[in-house]
Amino acid sequence: MSTTPRVSSAIPGQPAHFGSVMAQEPRLLSRFGELYATFWSKGVVDHRTKEVARLRNARVTDCGF
Amino acid sequence: MAWLPSADPARPPFEAWLSHRPELRDLYKRFYGAIWDEELLPRNLVELCRIRIAQIHGCAAELAVRDSASAVTAVQVAELDDWGHATHFSPVERAVLTIAEKMPWSHHEITDAEYAEVREHLTEPQTVALTVALALFDANCRLRLVFDLDPSAARAAASASGPLH
Repeated sequence: MSTTPRVSSAIPGQPAHFGSVMAQEPRLLSRFGELYATFWSKGVVDHRTKEVARLRNARVTDCGF
Repeated sequence: MAWLPSADPARPPFEAWLSHRPELRDLYKRFYGAIWDEELLPRNLVELCRIRIAQIHGCAAELAVRDSASAVTAVQVAELDDWGHATHFSPVERAVLTIAEKMPWSHHEITDAEYAEVREHLTEPQTVALTVALALFDANCRLRLVFDLDPSAARAAASASGPLH
């Protein structure tokens, strides 16, 4: 794993994080945002279950972010 | 045999499964389709990576699909499972395939030097688009495999406006 971002932030003044790096390609960022927001804000699976799965997936894939 | 019943048999298998949640299906198609519709990257690069990731996963359902609008040749497809020793791939194709090769099972082993090689050929926005595309191809294979979706051969131009094969 790299210790420095491989792609820079597209948002002036902000460090490279998921949103600011994705902002390098606004067409993808907007569509991802629509999908991800809907996934969390609507649906048939409760928030707690989704969050448990998200956290477990992050640990399995060793994603500290 | 898929263990989840189709929610819309009139649609291709993958899209029919996603149709259990129509709103998410449509938003996912818009997101995935942007990779192809918006010309974020040369189409042949995208298709080469999609096929290679499907090969690594052994995902017959994903391999049964071909993007008819890409410039990937039959020779390249034939040599793709051993592209490192093949002769029909350009420097930029090799650079992106190096990243694609590691995306499914060894993403922690992608090096700064390998990304720097990609950046020799692609802009930063293109590099972001490539990485998102690779993650989506990986996810598509996982979804198809987990739900044990049957292969359904299709040759069509990938697009948000058409069926998701």
